[in-house]
Amino acid sequence: MWWKITSVILLLYAILAGFLVPLKSGIERVEPNVAQTGQRLSVRFFGYNTFFSRPSQEPIRVWLYYNDRYALMAQDVRPLNDTILEATFQMPANLPDGRSFVTLNALADHPAAGASLLPVALTLRQVDTTRAPLDSAWTAHPVEKLHLQKGFSFPYQNILYETIRNTYFHVPMWFVLLFLFAASVWYSVKYLRRPEADFDRRAAAYAEVGILFGLLGLASGMVWANYTWGKPWSNDIKQLMTAVALLVYFAYFILRGSFSDPEKGARLAAVYNIFAFASLIPLLYILPRMFDSLHPGATGNPAFGTQDLDNTMRAVFYPAILGWTLLGFWIADLRVRLQRLKDRAMGLD
Amino acid sequence: MPRTILTFVLWLGLSLPAAFAEGNRDFMRETGKIYVVVATLVVIFLGIVGYLVRLERKLTKIEHLTKDDA
Repeated sequence: MWWKITSVILLLYAILAGFLVPLKSGIERVEPNVAQTGQRLSVRFFGYNTFFSRPSQEPIRVWLYYNDRYALMAQDVRPLNDTILEATFQMPANLPDGRSFVTLNALADHPAAGASLLPVALTLRQVDTTRAPLDSAWTAHPVEKLHLQKGFSFPYQNILYETIRNTYFHVPMWFVLLFLFAASVWYSVKYLRRPEADFDRRAAAYAEVGILFGLLGLASGMVWANYTWGKPWSNDIKQLMTAVALLVYFAYFILRGSFSDPEKGARLAAVYNIFAFASLIPLLYILPRMFDSLHPGATGNPAFGTQDLDNTMRAVFYPAILGWTLLGFWIADLRVRLQRLKDRAMGLD
Repeated sequence: MPRTILTFVLWLGLSLPAAFAEGNRDFMRETGKIYVVVATLVVIFLGIVGYLVRLERKLTKIEHLTKDDA
């Protein structure tokens, strides 16, 4: 009983925190996003969750920077409102490293609200090709003494925006699937060692609810993908391998049901279940690492990188995983009890 | 009865976002795409409810079985 209450409390926490904790501020885009050397240019910064017009003692500092060494600081910064800021830059006469164009990152540092960043915000082109010593504007005001964003908030990422919150709803589905399939194979092994009907019932129920969560993971992923990757199904390696894994488990139920002698079916299904669970490791954990993927992590790494999950997110993500997992086992428990009743009613047990 | 409920819930879940989208084509992409999170949660909720409805139907069948015996 206690674990069912825990599940409800954890899920309530995950849903409330998952929706209510604000996103960190970021910069959505700058306008214009192309410029030429020598130009005097006013650039508009469009912020997300920013507080540009919040009063502060020190001035807001704004940069377009190339790397650690070369940065251009805005000469004049004027917040129009909380989310739009106008910064005037005097573009230097030439570019670092003798390049003909550079892409610059946009950075706005508000002393009270903290710094927000947009990578690859603006392209700066060289107009004349005369080589001159590098303009001192590039090194006069390096990016330094940035202010941190305070408060409990989730990371801002372009394209994702608020959908980063799906981490607490889509991603735990795969954890529940794995835990349920693990429980399923555990009872299959138990059944092979001692053929008790209840072990077989449990193995089947955990596999069935595992498939349910796999389907939910696929469906929720397709909704998320539609608005971030552009279409619901991109033949991403993880999408494909998950579909294959679910087919492997569908076959478990076909195999289990295709014997007139239920004991024989249960025994063969238990053996098959071990192979099915073993196939999950290459399907979900090895193959996705070998191909490019749209999923986060380097080159299809199915796990999260350190940039994808900060400590604030962990404080919601781990309770969410536990909450969903307990819910999955709760539903599977109902399924076991239902099957027990059915077998008893039909005189099989 | 459960089938009617499931159909209704599915109809509600699938047609409501479409109705919003008609009025404003980029409804789902506005306000930081927060409605994508809502839609994800709705899909998961509907999936779990659908499974519970299936369980209930199986339970009803067993109830009929035991009633015949009595």
